[in-house]
Amino acid sequence: MSAPGVVAVTGLGSFIGRRLVDRLLEGSPKLQILALDHRRPFRLDSRVRFHRIDLTEPTADGRLAEILSRARVDVLVHAAFRKTPTPDLEMDHELETIGSLHVMNACAAAKVKRLVVASSTTLYGPLPDNPNFLTESHPLRGHPDAHSVKDRIEMEGLLADWRERHPDTEVTVLRPCWMMGPDQWDHVNRFFALPVVPMLLGYDPLMQFVHEQDCIHAFERATLSAHPGVFNIVARGVLPLSTILRLAGKRILPLPAPVLYQMAYYPSQGQTGDAPAGFYDYLRYLWVADGARGWEAFGEPLYSSKEAWISFVSARRMRRYR
Amino acid sequence: MSDQRDQSPGNANGFDVEVDVLREALDSLRREIRSRFPATREPGSPGPAHGSVDWPALFTAFRRRVSTIGMVERSGEVDEFGMDEVVLRRTRRLLDLLYEGYWRVELQGLENVPIEGPCLLVANRSGLLPYDGLMVCHAIYRHHPHQLYPRFLVADWLITLPFVQPYLARLGGVRACRENAERLLASGHAVLAFPEGVKGAAKLFRERYRLKRFGRGGVIRIALENRVPIVPIGIVGAEEVHPILFKWGHPARAVGLPFVPVTPSFPLLGPLGLLPLPSKWVIGIGKPIPFDHLEPDAATDELLISRLTEDLRSQIQLLIETGLAHRESVWS
Repeated sequence: MSAPGVVAVTGLGSFIGRRLVDRLLEGSPKLQILALDHRRPFRLDSRVRFHRIDLTEPTADGRLAEILSRARVDVLVHAAFRKTPTPDLEMDHELETIGSLHVMNACAAAKVKRLVVASSTTLYGPLPDNPNFLTESHPLRGHPDAHSVKDRIEMEGLLADWRERHPDTEVTVLRPCWMMGPDQWDHVNRFFALPVVPMLLGYDPLMQFVHEQDCIHAFERATLSAHPGVFNIVARGVLPLSTILRLAGKRILPLPAPVLYQMAYYPSQGQTGDAPAGFYDYLRYLWVADGARGWEAFGEPLYSSKEAWISFVSARRMRRYR
Repeated sequence: MSDQRDQSPGNANGFDVEVDVLREALDSLRREIRSRFPATREPGSPGPAHGSVDWPALFTAFRRRVSTIGMVERSGEVDEFGMDEVVLRRTRRLLDLLYEGYWRVELQGLENVPIEGPCLLVANRSGLLPYDGLMVCHAIYRHHPHQLYPRFLVADWLITLPFVQPYLARLGGVRACRENAERLLASGHAVLAFPEGVKGAAKLFRERYRLKRFGRGGVIRIALENRVPIVPIGIVGAEEVHPILFKWGHPARAVGLPFVPVTPSFPLLGPLGLLPLPSKWVIGIGKPIPFDHLEPDAATDELLISRLTEDLRSQIQLLIETGLAHRESVWS
């Protein structure tokens, strides 16, 4: 299959879904776009056909298969994931794991030719015995305290099984790392935008980011041309955490790990529903991914990790005066 | 400008004229400045008054120095494994002091380190803190014609130890694992590995300079698969800087160490006991062992690998014996 005629995007409300649809509308005028979400967006381009569907419903797979086969969808981009983990653990699991299973089953029934799934490099997990650069073949070990990561690892396991059972469908899994940029806003960006950023005393791991434009570019390329396999979507270069915080002129509050984990327990329960280790261990150990495969397939990224970070910081600075 | 004129007497004519014109112009400029800004004093003249100190200026300088304490040792860029050239340059003074004054390191056989291209340096390990790795890298950096700075591999528990981790990474330490070693070799670095691992670091004082088992032949396997030579290194002296009398297991789990070493000074004198002893060091570098003549699938031959590992171990043991014989006593 060379150029797809009809593209469906699940999770129009998610950052990747919305920006990908915008970019496809701009870049490929002949493409028919089908957008799916559980809620109709406030503003919708007239070229996009919208279907309301809740992936957590038990019969969502049948309905989705019907929609996909009626529209003769060639490519499905699955981006219906939570922007941030929520305290509602069961619902997160229903959406991220079971919802993805519904999408896979619907793709099999509607004979979709290509499936692009948005995953993340956080799935490798921050562990003391990680090598400095995690390749795509490294096992996904996640973190026992991060429920969203666990759900997505389960999803990737299901997807790997599904891929073996359906060899006719090209499956592309894109794993971006933490995204930075003017428009991206999730729990990670919110943490880095705090006036005083807590850090673990005695730890200073290397961090890696990807700019939102580079990430969306990779999704666009994966949608429009054949790139079966798993790809890490990361920027070039790494920087120590303390250096990036100093670069932004942030005040750093270094706290010993047990103290920080005690202090952050209730805020963390309220925000993500996890123990604090589920987030702060990502600032403790190394989880840098090797992006060589992604760069080869989707082209050189425009922004390095440092430039992506600076783009995020300068956008925040500007916004303060709005 | 005057010595330039001395060096080139051939075209003195035209040059002299230009210099005179320039000098005249400068003089007039200086006069003008002096007339317009009378407060400006001449560079050669003494300060405002003899003997008195310019307190406000000193205070400003002091305040500026204090307010930038945290900022001096950092740079904005690190390489892909986290090595920071700025930190390294600043630390080299301390390393020089340790190298020349404290441990009086003697380096033998530097010519055996390849001038160019990746290689795997293999040495004996001792002591919990990676002084040996730092010293070998620094010794090679000082004397190598291309200022080669090898990257040293550090055990897991040490590279994730709080407070140690940020500094080790900045000084060129990399977590010891196969992926990292292969990546470094592929990008043309020299890599210093300690195949004894934690068994070497945990050696008691009475077991000093007796090499432990070399892992499961991982070093040889990496060298075979990446087609790089192995350079054996014997370090003498590092095993006396922290003579471990016995190992204390119980409190270690709380801190994340494999064990707490008990040295003559360590838990007794508190943090002061962490100071290394000034032993005399001899670093001997042996002839490189090439692996080009072997088949690429030799890496699957377990017997061959164990034989090669044993050869390597005996070579390093021999280097250690030579170094020990070279040294008069532990201290000189």
